[in-house]
Amino acid sequence: MGRRKKIVQECEELMDEPEQIRNIAIAAHVDHGKTTLTDNLLAGAGMIADADEATQLVMDTEEDEQERGITIDAANVSMTHEYEDENHLINLIDTPGHVDFGGDVTRAMRAVDGALVVVDAVEGAMPQTETVVRQALREGVKPALFINKVDRLISELQEGPEEMQQRLQDVIADVNELIRGMTEEMDDIEEDWTVSVEEGTVGFGSALYKWGVSLPSMQRTGMSFGDIIELEQDHKRQELHERTPLSDVVLDMVAEHFPNPLKAQPFRVPRIWRGDDESDIAEDMRTVNRDGDIVFMATDIGMDPHAGEIVTGRVFSGTLEKGQELYVSGTAGKNRVQSVGIYMGGEREELDRGVPAGNVAAVTGLKDAIAGSTVSDKEMTPFESIEHISEPVITKSVEAKSMDDLPKLIKTLQQVAKEDPTIRVEINEDTGEHLISGQGELHLEVITQRIQKNQGIPVQTGEPIVVYREQPQEASREVEGVSPNRHNKFYITVEPMADDIVETIQRGEASMSMPELERREALQDAGMDKDTSQNVEHIHGTNILIDDTKGIQHLNETMELVIEGLEEALDDGPLAAEPVQGALLRLHDARLHEDTIHRGPAQVIPAVRDAVHRALIDGEVRLLEPIQDVRIDVPSEHMGNASGEIQGRRGRVDDMYQEGDLMVIEGIAPVEEMIGFSSDIRSATEGRASWNTENAGFRVLVDNLQREKIMEIRERKGMKLELPQSIDYI
Amino acid sequence: MLTFIGLGLWNERSVTVEGREALRVADRVFAEFYTSRLAGTTVEALEAHHGADIEVRDRAGVEQDPSAILDAAEDGEIAFCTAGDTMISTTHVDLRVRAAERSIDTRVIHGVTAQSAASSLTGLQNYRFGKAVTLPFEYAHGAEGTPQSVIDGIEANRERGLHTLVYLDIKVAGSSPAGPAEGESDEYMTADHAAAALARDWDEDAVGVAVARAGSPEPVVAADALGVLGEREFGEPLHMLVIPGELHHLEAEALATLAGCPRDVLPSFE
Repeated sequence: MGRRKKIVQECEELMDEPEQIRNIAIAAHVDHGKTTLTDNLLAGAGMIADADEATQLVMDTEEDEQERGITIDAANVSMTHEYEDENHLINLIDTPGHVDFGGDVTRAMRAVDGALVVVDAVEGAMPQTETVVRQALREGVKPALFINKVDRLISELQEGPEEMQQRLQDVIADVNELIRGMTEEMDDIEEDWTVSVEEGTVGFGSALYKWGVSLPSMQRTGMSFGDIIELEQDHKRQELHERTPLSDVVLDMVAEHFPNPLKAQPFRVPRIWRGDDESDIAEDMRTVNRDGDIVFMATDIGMDPHAGEIVTGRVFSGTLEKGQELYVSGTAGKNRVQSVGIYMGGEREELDRGVPAGNVAAVTGLKDAIAGSTVSDKEMTPFESIEHISEPVITKSVEAKSMDDLPKLIKTLQQVAKEDPTIRVEINEDTGEHLISGQGELHLEVITQRIQKNQGIPVQTGEPIVVYREQPQEASREVEGVSPNRHNKFYITVEPMADDIVETIQRGEASMSMPELERREALQDAGMDKDTSQNVEHIHGTNILIDDTKGIQHLNETMELVIEGLEEALDDGPLAAEPVQGALLRLHDARLHEDTIHRGPAQVIPAVRDAVHRALIDGEVRLLEPIQDVRIDVPSEHMGNASGEIQGRRGRVDDMYQEGDLMVIEGIAPVEEMIGFSSDIRSATEGRASWNTENAGFRVLVDNLQREKIMEIRERKGMKLELPQSIDYI
Repeated sequence: MLTFIGLGLWNERSVTVEGREALRVADRVFAEFYTSRLAGTTVEALEAHHGADIEVRDRAGVEQDPSAILDAAEDGEIAFCTAGDTMISTTHVDLRVRAAERSIDTRVIHGVTAQSAASSLTGLQNYRFGKAVTLPFEYAHGAEGTPQSVIDGIEANRERGLHTLVYLDIKVAGSSPAGPAEGESDEYMTADHAAAALARDWDEDAVGVAVARAGSPEPVVAADALGVLGEREFGEPLHMLVIPGELHHLEAEALATLAGCPRDVLPSFE
């Protein structure tokens, strides 16, 4: 029996024992060594040959990932590990670290119960570390810490034991501060989730040289910190690897400290599912019942040239098997499961016996599923949508070079949007110029490259364009909207919404899909007054419609149309047809015609749309642009040039401080100005700067650029080049 | 001068003599056919019959931008026509008010309307009708099934023993806010469709009266339980539906004799 076959057989046996399953993700800031660590674990588990595997990067399966040396999509693998005489099945998801691919990280977290956070010992906790820890905690995923690249502290920086200890303590303290901040507000998590060396939830080591230690491992092997420093200093890394292999240390930590599905599902399910907790389905999910109703959450969609679309996700209840006819949330009809399997390295292993509750499964045949779909054998309340806070900030046009490729390109773009919900695709069949919007330049570049390479469609892309928003700046007066037949009138005001409420909506903590009482509480917690929160009629984007009317006959029948008009007005704001955000709209009064036809869509929609636009204008709506937090690490002699690169881009430097032998510059700058930053900062600092950016929401564009920018956008969109006369404040 | 002319119910000959004469002397003739239409003729036949060019306006051209009509009426004899009567269910009073605001003289020449046909063809007395309702297409009013206000309207009338005239929705191609769909054609709700909807969402045993092609030489009038009417077909448009309230004995006799109503479904028939 081949080794691979033997592992598959072991996995199959363990699948039915939820106590022995751990579903985990590895997440980190870009370049802190996740993928190298993952490959170590695979080698340790006997999944890949031991020779030079750390540089082989099995997990980075897409060609462009191996070329770039970073992970772009989350990849999956199952392995086994023996700990304290018990064999364990470990389903692992490796996640991308680059900020542009944060959506993949959030989705991966939905499938797992534990997150191994990897931090570079030299760089310490970085902005993306903070983001991934937040993403994990928000999903109720328990963290543990691995501090990587400790070899560099010893060999490169020549640090002694005390300096090293201090540095490691600092990293642990930073991570714990984050965990404490987030978990304090989480009533459903009673345990202390902070990490500590004493507890064994922190490991150290070098993924590159394949050694690692933790307090329990030191006790077991009898190796002291001094021994390790000595061996590393003497470059006896092979010996170090053999005496205290990284994979054992990390996998022991996973087996010991991460919750198994039986322990995790009872508290994770209420966090991510708002259905009736008294129902049978809720009970099946809590008890990880393999014989219960089937509930599967799709977290990732991939393409296989032979098998077609592969849906990856977590089985929360029941057993997924070939041939089942399953509902996919948000779509009509059923999909038939064509195959079910698990991941072994980059490949799938189909299992005719099916995959039971508590496991990560790879499924084909679910053609209607998108990342985030709930798949079940009975119709049920779907899981909460997987919220990823970053909205797309950059758009690029994509055109097929040859007209013959047009249908194929449209299909590919639709597929791209299905696989990655942080991408937005607008297909324009008239002009053939399609728009894709994403998290950053790299994000879009990778996507377009994949279209060219994998699908063989030569495409032409436009210059990246920044995505804008529109937001009212003050409360408007009451505006009257009259229907074309003048039989219906709507009285509307608009006011800017408090940031806390906007964030609450962005995080998905208040949505129309949740029970009213819960939504009301969430909004009140964010600072909305009680009366207002009781009258919430609709949430669209980060805008809320409040129905302040009392006892108007026929209004309930007309509300759907009011909402339609409202959404049209908010999707295309009055300034430049960019989406409106953070607006609180109140419907104060309405006059309606007696008869349905005379208050039909042709009457109500334009009346409301017009009223909303005029209210926004009266509320001094302004154009907002996306901004980024920027952090640059640079040797002090290049500091002036580096900070100049921020200031020269309409940016602001907020802080400069020394960290080790480098200077850190922190600030913010508009996304638009950051296009092309990568090559400029390289030449300004002779390539000595390392930097990263993170989208930080939207900010009002400065007054003297408002008109110019609005006209630029209007021209691009082929809109009239004059603003309504009432916009006299810009 | 702006003259509102009701063209009556069926074809180019349904207009009153007074209306015909006003059309002949008009400098320009405007018309709209999005609220209703003359099912027995075409715009071309109308023009030929009256010897006038008719400028057909769409909804936006009447409601949002009536200035072309009003400007012309300031210094000319202008006719504005609709099927039926211009003021009954088509509610063009707004246009008349706007004209008056601009000091334009106006005049109304009545036409035969669906409302009078509903009484005269069914034998249900005009004194005993309550408020009318319109049944919109299921997809067109932003919610599922039959709007509650339609059912409420019928029930409120019946509580007071009154009949209800149910106008049936008309969708003129290209009139949706999203613009015309490819291959879209005009759609007229049929009486069987309406009866089936009310049978499903309200009461299948209640009596209804279907009226098809009122004003034509061969109108169809049929009374039966809504559930039964919903299974029948009444041919070409336009259709309407009447839901009787309490029946006067002569009304019941008329429904049985003139509308073929089975006697066992008429509750108050002695």
